[in-house]
Amino acid sequence: MSTVQDFTGYQPTWCPGCGDWGIGIAIKSALVQLGLSPSSLFVAFGIGCSGNMNDFLNAYAMHGLHGRSIPNAIGMKLANHKMTVLAVVGDGDCYGEGGNHFLHACRGNHDITVIVHDNRVYGLTTGQSAPTAQKGYKSKSTPLGIIEESVDPLSLALTQGATFVAQAFAGDTIHLGQMIKQAIEHKGFSLVNILQPCLTFNKINTYQYYMKHVYKLDDTHDKTNMLTAVNKARGVYEEKYALGVLYQVEKTAFHEQIVQLDSTTSLKDRDKFTDYNQLLPYFK
Amino acid sequence: MKTFVWKIGGEAGFGIMTTGLAFSKIVSRLGYQMFDYIEYPSLIRGGHNAYEVVVSDDRVGSSPGSIDFLVCLNKQTFELHKDQLSDNAFIIYDKDEFIPETKSTLIHVPFKKILFSLKGQQIMKNTIALGASLALLGTDLKIFNELISQQFRRKGEDVIKFNEQFAEKGYAYIIEHYKENIQQVLLPLNSESQLVMTGNEAFSLGAVIADCRMYVAYPMTPSSSVLTTLAAWQKTSRMVVRHAEDEISVINTALGGSFAGVRSAVGTSGGGFALMVESVSYAGIAEIPLVIFISQRPGPATGMPTWTEQGDLLFTVFAGHGEFPKIVLAPGDMEEMVGLTTEAFNLADIYQIPVIIMSDMYLSESHSNIKESFVTDLIKNYQVNRGKTITQTNTTPYLRYSDSSDGISPRLIPGVAGSFYQANSYEHFEDGHTTESAEERIKQVDKRARKIRTYFNNDFKTPMIYGNFNEAEVVFVSWGSNKGVILDVQKKLRSRVKTAYIHFTHVYPLKKEAVIPLLNQDKRYVLIENNAEGQFGKLLQMGLGISFSETILRYDGRAVSQQEIINKVNLK
Repeated sequence: MSTVQDFTGYQPTWCPGCGDWGIGIAIKSALVQLGLSPSSLFVAFGIGCSGNMNDFLNAYAMHGLHGRSIPNAIGMKLANHKMTVLAVVGDGDCYGEGGNHFLHACRGNHDITVIVHDNRVYGLTTGQSAPTAQKGYKSKSTPLGIIEESVDPLSLALTQGATFVAQAFAGDTIHLGQMIKQAIEHKGFSLVNILQPCLTFNKINTYQYYMKHVYKLDDTHDKTNMLTAVNKARGVYEEKYALGVLYQVEKTAFHEQIVQLDSTTSLKDRDKFTDYNQLLPYFK
Repeated sequence: MKTFVWKIGGEAGFGIMTTGLAFSKIVSRLGYQMFDYIEYPSLIRGGHNAYEVVVSDDRVGSSPGSIDFLVCLNKQTFELHKDQLSDNAFIIYDKDEFIPETKSTLIHVPFKKILFSLKGQQIMKNTIALGASLALLGTDLKIFNELISQQFRRKGEDVIKFNEQFAEKGYAYIIEHYKENIQQVLLPLNSESQLVMTGNEAFSLGAVIADCRMYVAYPMTPSSSVLTTLAAWQKTSRMVVRHAEDEISVINTALGGSFAGVRSAVGTSGGGFALMVESVSYAGIAEIPLVIFISQRPGPATGMPTWTEQGDLLFTVFAGHGEFPKIVLAPGDMEEMVGLTTEAFNLADIYQIPVIIMSDMYLSESHSNIKESFVTDLIKNYQVNRGKTITQTNTTPYLRYSDSSDGISPRLIPGVAGSFYQANSYEHFEDGHTTESAEERIKQVDKRARKIRTYFNNDFKTPMIYGNFNEAEVVFVSWGSNKGVILDVQKKLRSRVKTAYIHFTHVYPLKKEAVIPLLNQDKRYVLIENNAEGQFGKLLQMGLGISFSETILRYDGRAVSQQEIINKVNLK
């Protein structure tokens, strides 16, 4: 059995009080509870404060380019589908720069877990507006207030085919850990959007703000009803943030539908192709 | 040497491509060497398609520029190509469509009437025309009928028979009406078995031979047929072929696959590669092997999508922000495409860098034949060389980027119990963790750069020289797909002037001490490139201080022609 210590790399460089600390702990405890080890785990990190978890979380990891973690994760899964695959990304990373990859990964139902640090601001570049910033939010890049409506990532995921959509709050690491654990256990594309205060640059969406505006979905919520889930997701525009699993259905994952992959042997481990008598007649 | 050119033209969207390929396969199976070239607009329907096949009993790699047999499925074909007709040309046409005004021999075949009488569709005009062509060229329908059977096998015997009768009608019409015009130019030769393939198919085959297990692409002319070929083969080859949402996803999926341990490749043209460039840089710093196939077309931007150019060499060589090594290879024909592709996968693994194969529309979409034994020997002899890739390590912690004298660190395939590491796009320590230390930075930059020295020592290939270099008065210098036309011109000039051709395949980086002695002799050097700025010449100027006073640079979307090289040589 692995321990939280096994997953712990270098000392984090996040600001004191940053939501990333809680997320880091929640991820590690979920991994331990699932009996995973750093050697059985692929993580694709994005670029941003979230991506900087690369040095603090032990795994076989790609710390790639801003916005491009999801395709990295998809490639890793296809090459070795026996490994668990996470993408640890930020809101700008996943919903801005990499928005196209996000919607297509939902469509594909790739068996990866996307963990989004949604603090609604760009921290690492010192305080510009993120795609999830509320309309009118004033930042260094939008001093007169951002004109666009914020992205609604949960609805986006729901309507594009994600089979597991959850939201959590970085201030409640126990619940967050449960969401991450369920997301990893889910077969197919899973999203955990984490509402996360940025103490340094976002003075609006603070811990206090979220304490006031979040609520947990109770047992009466039907996880299999997409329209109900979308309704809950749209609460973002009324400052009502649902926490919990909004939606979960079982569907065949992308790699399970690739006929040349079999369940027992990964692409990496299969034998080399040798039957050229099947190919050469094509050229005659 | 006996060489002739057969060309068929008609309205786009009506089967010209299929018919041209059938002709290429027929002459190849009869034992002839062939090279074909297609002209088509960037449209699905409408516009003009033409398919030209050069047939020879000797190796051939370009068009002589004249046409001996022109099959006109419409009037436009004649109008567009009449100036290229050779002195003794034949024209196959239908007088119910138009009557050509020409001194060439006219061979009327009633396409329309035959179609009508057999209740055929427009597309079957091609079948009649090919049947008639084969009769006129003095061969039979045996191989053509085999190809028809192959093509319609799944649709059943009736469909096969239905199609065959169009070929038979065209054939019979010639035998009946033009017996005295029949040319005996396709008598079967005793040659060994040959394969007909395009450059894109040659890359695809090379990738399979090299044990590439993941190919990711987004369609872009003229690279798309690599994607469709490998996708068509995937159930057989068991390669994972992914058509991703955009080129950025394409390269990052492939990098994910490669990091996880499978040989991976991507393919695109210049515009798609432009989107990938940031990720090429990631492959550079994270030292992830990757093979990138680029089939060039004239730019900038959308340019001329279905035409040819070598305009992306400097862009490719310098692609990626920051400083890191990469290797660029440029095959000149099908053998080199298959061979260099298999080599590229080894080089990518050995040096843990991006290796780029440069093609262009001309090489990618033209067919040529290669000996089947060349391919089967390659399959038999090819060794997958993964360099310092390891599947176990005793080192704790495992140092992914450990400093080494050759610049290459052992690369552990992820998944091994007890280890872990990251492929970091930030500058990193030897263990992969992010650093901003000046000392560590220098260590890693120097380590990566050292790979090039190792490459020069172990794997750089000095350019091939065709012809007798010491005796040559004129020395052609070129790279990639111009090889075919230059070799053909050398044969034509043989009786008049001694020439040599320095053919570069390993175009970047260039090992100075190996290349300079070839280029600083007292010779008349002529640089030949399919671009406006002489990009390879600039690369030689920059890296080696060598410049050219004589150049042939073509950038109208067409390949360099035999005649313009001959004219240039004759100028003095």
